[in-house]
Amino acid sequence: MATISTALRNFKEPSKDQLTQAFFSIPTSTTHSATIGASGSSKNGSAEEVDKMEINAVLSLGEQNVEDSYAGKLYIIAPYLAFASLDRKSVRLTIPLSTIRRVERLNARAGVYALSLLTWHGMKIIVQLTSLRPTADLFCSLLRDALKIELQKGQMKAVKGFSRTCFSEHLITEQGPGEVAEGAGAPDVVDKDADGDDVAYHGGLGLKFKFPGDPKKLREASKLKLWTTYLKSHGRNLTLLRYPQCTRLVQVGLPNRLRGEMWETLSGSIYLRYANPGFYDRLLEEHKGRTSTSTEDIEKDLHRSLPEYAGYQSEEGISALRRVLQAYSFKNPELGYCQAMNILAAAILIYMSEEQAFWLLEVLCDRLLPGYYAPSMHGTLLDQRVFEALVQRCLPMIHEHFQSVDVQLSVASLPWFLSLYINSMPMVFAFRIVDCFFCMGPKVLFQVGLAILKINGEKLLEIQDDGGFLNLMRDYFASLGDSANPKSTDPRARAITKFQELLLISFREFSIITDETIQSERKRYRSEIITSIESFSKRSSIRNLKSLGRFAKDQVGLIYDALYKAMCVVPPPPVALPPPSLIKTADGTEGEGRVETRIGAATFKVFLSEVVTWARNDKIVRNGFGSIGGLDVGLGRERVDREVADHEFLDRLFYFWDVECRGALSFQDLVSGLDGVMFNDLMENIEWFFNLHDKNKDGHLTKDEVLTLSETFLFIFRHEVGDAYLGAVSRFMTNAFEYGDALLPRPESKEGAEVPDSPPPIESNQPYLNLATFRMVVLADEILESFFETDLSASFQLHPLPELDLPLPSASTSGFLGDLWSSIATDSNKKMFNMITDELGKTIGKHQVINKPSIGRYTKLEEPKARESLLTPSMRKSVSKSSLKSSDTGITTTTGGMTSPTTTTSGTISSSGLSDLTIPTSSSSTVSRASASGGGGGTSKSLPPVPPSPIAESDKDRQADTMLQAVAKAGATVLERTPFAIDDAQDSSSEEEEDDEDEDEDDDEEDDDEEEDDEEDEDEDDEEEEEEEEINEDDQVLDEVDAFLEAHDSGLTDADKEVAKQLQTAQPLR
Amino acid sequence: MAETASGSQDKSVQVKLVLLGEAAVGKSSVVLRFVSNEFQPNKEPTIGAAFLTQKCRLEDRILRYEIWDTAGQERFHSLAPMYYRNAQAAVVVYDVTKATSLEKAKSWVKELQRQANPNIVIALAGNKVDLVQSSSSSSGASSSPDSEDEADDATATPGETPGSPGEPESLRQVPREEAQAYAQEAGLLFFETSAKTGEGIVEVFTEIAKKIPIEHILAASRNNSGRPGAGGRGNNAREENVNLQDDQAKTKDACNC
Repeated sequence: MATISTALRNFKEPSKDQLTQAFFSIPTSTTHSATIGASGSSKNGSAEEVDKMEINAVLSLGEQNVEDSYAGKLYIIAPYLAFASLDRKSVRLTIPLSTIRRVERLNARAGVYALSLLTWHGMKIIVQLTSLRPTADLFCSLLRDALKIELQKGQMKAVKGFSRTCFSEHLITEQGPGEVAEGAGAPDVVDKDADGDDVAYHGGLGLKFKFPGDPKKLREASKLKLWTTYLKSHGRNLTLLRYPQCTRLVQVGLPNRLRGEMWETLSGSIYLRYANPGFYDRLLEEHKGRTSTSTEDIEKDLHRSLPEYAGYQSEEGISALRRVLQAYSFKNPELGYCQAMNILAAAILIYMSEEQAFWLLEVLCDRLLPGYYAPSMHGTLLDQRVFEALVQRCLPMIHEHFQSVDVQLSVASLPWFLSLYINSMPMVFAFRIVDCFFCMGPKVLFQVGLAILKINGEKLLEIQDDGGFLNLMRDYFASLGDSANPKSTDPRARAITKFQELLLISFREFSIITDETIQSERKRYRSEIITSIESFSKRSSIRNLKSLGRFAKDQVGLIYDALYKAMCVVPPPPVALPPPSLIKTADGTEGEGRVETRIGAATFKVFLSEVVTWARNDKIVRNGFGSIGGLDVGLGRERVDREVADHEFLDRLFYFWDVECRGALSFQDLVSGLDGVMFNDLMENIEWFFNLHDKNKDGHLTKDEVLTLSETFLFIFRHEVGDAYLGAVSRFMTNAFEYGDALLPRPESKEGAEVPDSPPPIESNQPYLNLATFRMVVLADEILESFFETDLSASFQLHPLPELDLPLPSASTSGFLGDLWSSIATDSNKKMFNMITDELGKTIGKHQVINKPSIGRYTKLEEPKARESLLTPSMRKSVSKSSLKSSDTGITTTTGGMTSPTTTTSGTISSSGLSDLTIPTSSSSTVSRASASGGGGGTSKSLPPVPPSPIAESDKDRQADTMLQAVAKAGATVLERTPFAIDDAQDSSSEEEEDDEDEDEDDDEEDDDEEEDDEEDEDEDDEEEEEEEEINEDDQVLDEVDAFLEAHDSGLTDADKEVAKQLQTAQPLR
Repeated sequence: MAETASGSQDKSVQVKLVLLGEAAVGKSSVVLRFVSNEFQPNKEPTIGAAFLTQKCRLEDRILRYEIWDTAGQERFHSLAPMYYRNAQAAVVVYDVTKATSLEKAKSWVKELQRQANPNIVIALAGNKVDLVQSSSSSSGASSSPDSEDEADDATATPGETPGSPGEPESLRQVPREEAQAYAQEAGLLFFETSAKTGEGIVEVFTEIAKKIPIEHILAASRNNSGRPGAGGRGNNAREENVNLQDDQAKTKDACNC
């Protein structure tokens, strides 16, 4: 609404490292070090330096004759060790280094470099490093170092306590410690735990309020048994090794009691919980009693989250839900709380503890569903767009039909994605999709969505409107438990439910949808989505303005653009948004209870520099390449470098526009502020300018303020060519002080024609010059008059900002690097290029920098027309004699003429104890400017920017004096400069080098692993049917899984396998 | 209460109506009252929007309202155009006990008038008037348990707890006159309603029905029956549904998917 966010612009495509890290569910280092907080982040930081390496490896499980070996890549991403098989899905492993108990180099055949890793759970993993020997050595030493660091941090000790919180440990020991010990020398700790209390492990509300669904129908016992076997041999919780069987077991549905832990293991949130012990409780403690808009919103939805579940009809469930959602909103106040998060949180709390749920929510919002719940919901919108594109590609008929009857896919699919189907399907089914989602990643949401549409394809082709679409979907979801083939004669086929059919089709027919597909599709549509969100928020920002002033709507749009750009350059300080806890009370009067985006002075100056000619330093840089044939003509021949100016006057303007005295400006303030000057006529402008400098608003300027006002003139005119404006300012000062002094004894008599002989001492805060006098002094000068009449208003210019233009949808859909990131990249490329050309220009002596004038109307010192009788007409006369050509004498005369009032002024000012008077244009800087330009481009020295800031060296004793002299001097030097036509400077920026966005369109990486999937599918068929059979056929399930494993390509030759087999029995090196 | 009809389907006109308004003003409750004449606590929040249908008899015509009840949370705002596009009617709801909610309502009205279907009929509904009535319909004894229900249904207002029935008008933050004046100025239908007591709810929908250019919609749908434009949408495919509706007057046809 009233907030304007540039957050979407900051999006950067993840780097390769980040993608790897995300693939392995390894907490990003920022979260990691940020949340680890007090507990030794410095150590952590130092570890980051040496921590990443990957190496080719073959992994096999140390247990004999059971499992296959897989070729893949082994990674050290401290403090984790990770492995993925070549196909990136058969085998995966992420273990914290601290769970590794022993690492041994194995004594094996020559040329084979192998390590044996023993984990906390007694799982022995053998990795054969197949890279070159030196690489393997390096890897080992890195591993050793990383392990040492973990040891020093004492993380090794944390494992024991942590694993007690895991249900899997309990599950294993339930079966009897003896069995475990048999495994592979299980640590004795497990035995001790056997008689430990059974409340120790984390669990959800389901333990007390029952899990949804019929345990018998869900075949809980059978599933638990299978998992127990798997977890015994393949590690568990922190050390789970994901073999193909793991994925298969997940696909048939997790057992309820294990579900919560498997979710956190598969999603990787367990690593966050492990790395941040006690964080959740501390967070709640620290924010106790705090409220925010988020907590209010949460309160409203607490009783509306899975209300049919018994746990949420009790205070216990409600308060758990409240705490988890609040804790997340405290952790991530920017995101806060979004409806649908309540449903997710309520769902996962059935299966996991609050702390587990909190971290899982973090992983969900941060990594798995990025941007889904953000204030702009850009992730949701983006994925809806991606889904639509996938429907168009995979189900073109449905897409066409939807187009023809104007049905929008998202009306149904949006909640599917936002609530992971929990809000749409019966819970038992939705949770199975969630199982797969955590195990196989976000692509599952798309695969299931496509399968839903495909299954209902025929009926979908008959719907005529959104309502019909929704009704159809609702009916379908309600029938998921029914048989998919009720009329089939084959009882096995009849037994297949619609839900099983859905999963089958999801994973069989839409296995072409991979994580990479999703990634590249997101990339393709991101800028389109951002554009539409931004233009939406622009429209509503403009619509919500209380007043447009005299601006037309598109002009306000340009103001918005300038503001937006400024906010991109200098984001408003976060303090501008009050902390959430304050919103409620502070904004009672604000209108909508919402925070309004307000910018600080720094952003304001950038904004002004876009709009006002004198609020920027436009430097025209020429490197003279145009004349040099050998070099790329047209590139960098002439360009305009824009700098944001800084001056006390800009701050003054900032506070002048800050009518509510908030120390920050809203969009409305800017519009009103600009409205207050851009439509002014002569008199209004004079008054505006006067008021700007009348600090106490008493209708009089003090003497200080007159000086400040003169400085403002000098600031505004600082880039003008020629001496005309300097002359005007000199005259203004002369006249202002003369009048002021003359009027001083009798403040009301404006016509006082005598110069008082000795002006009485004046206090610095004493009223000195009123508006009428000021007006008179201004009107006495043609240049100033014209400045106020037209030039001031005209110096505010609302131009479309070409740089701000987002990549057009057409450009972005082609999959170029047309996204924002690339534009930033080319921006910096441009800068680099410019630097190079500058250097080049300097070496060939063609480098030339000229400040573009802000007004550029008068370039020459003209003879002022005496329209009013000035106090000392004689002086005027001497000035008028000075012609342009004989500038030296003219200036000296002027200077001489000025001295008489100046001396008196300086006297009074120094006596009044003025301390902070500043002079914007010191003589030294003007001289250097003049000399550089006077050199006719021959000098290679680039101009220092005209110091816009107060000059420190200005002697306080002689301020006014120096200033006038500076004016005079500048006037003199400026005359030497060769004048140039302003029009030349206008379009010089158009010759920028073209953005090279020549990246090929992203290929659709699809059919890579289709074959494999087919194999898998057959198994899947069988297994799905299997599920319906009796419990005593567990063995058969396992057989199926084994068959699947054999069929699976581990990427190894027989010889490789042989080596791997031998390694399993190899002895450690001495 | 809205009548479900036994009249001929030919006269049934489909009207798309969207509910908008700040969170917690009682949009869902208004719809629920209208569609199933009940007050359901603990209804799951709407993700994106909920879709419900209800019929309404107007003289010899049957209007079939397709009601899109949108999520009120601010961040769902950008999704709203998806729901109000092609809508022939809108009910913008505010809470008479919360001045800011009228501001939000105004901004919705502005948005609708600029972005939505140009002929859209907009009604402004100030909900929760029961909280500011001294003792007309349901007060005293019944108000405190009910207000708990309301809290559950996300229509609660801070400070509504019992203890204030003595001076209920003090809860009112939006004077009827002010809202009415605004509605008149902006060309809106205006009502004060209570989803809890049912006051004014049906009127909202019947008045909208009267104002909707039915003939226009019918003509539009006759002209291009297959292709629904801003006007009527294909009615033919709907016939089944309509029949289905006829014999179940008060079963809700709500969908939350």
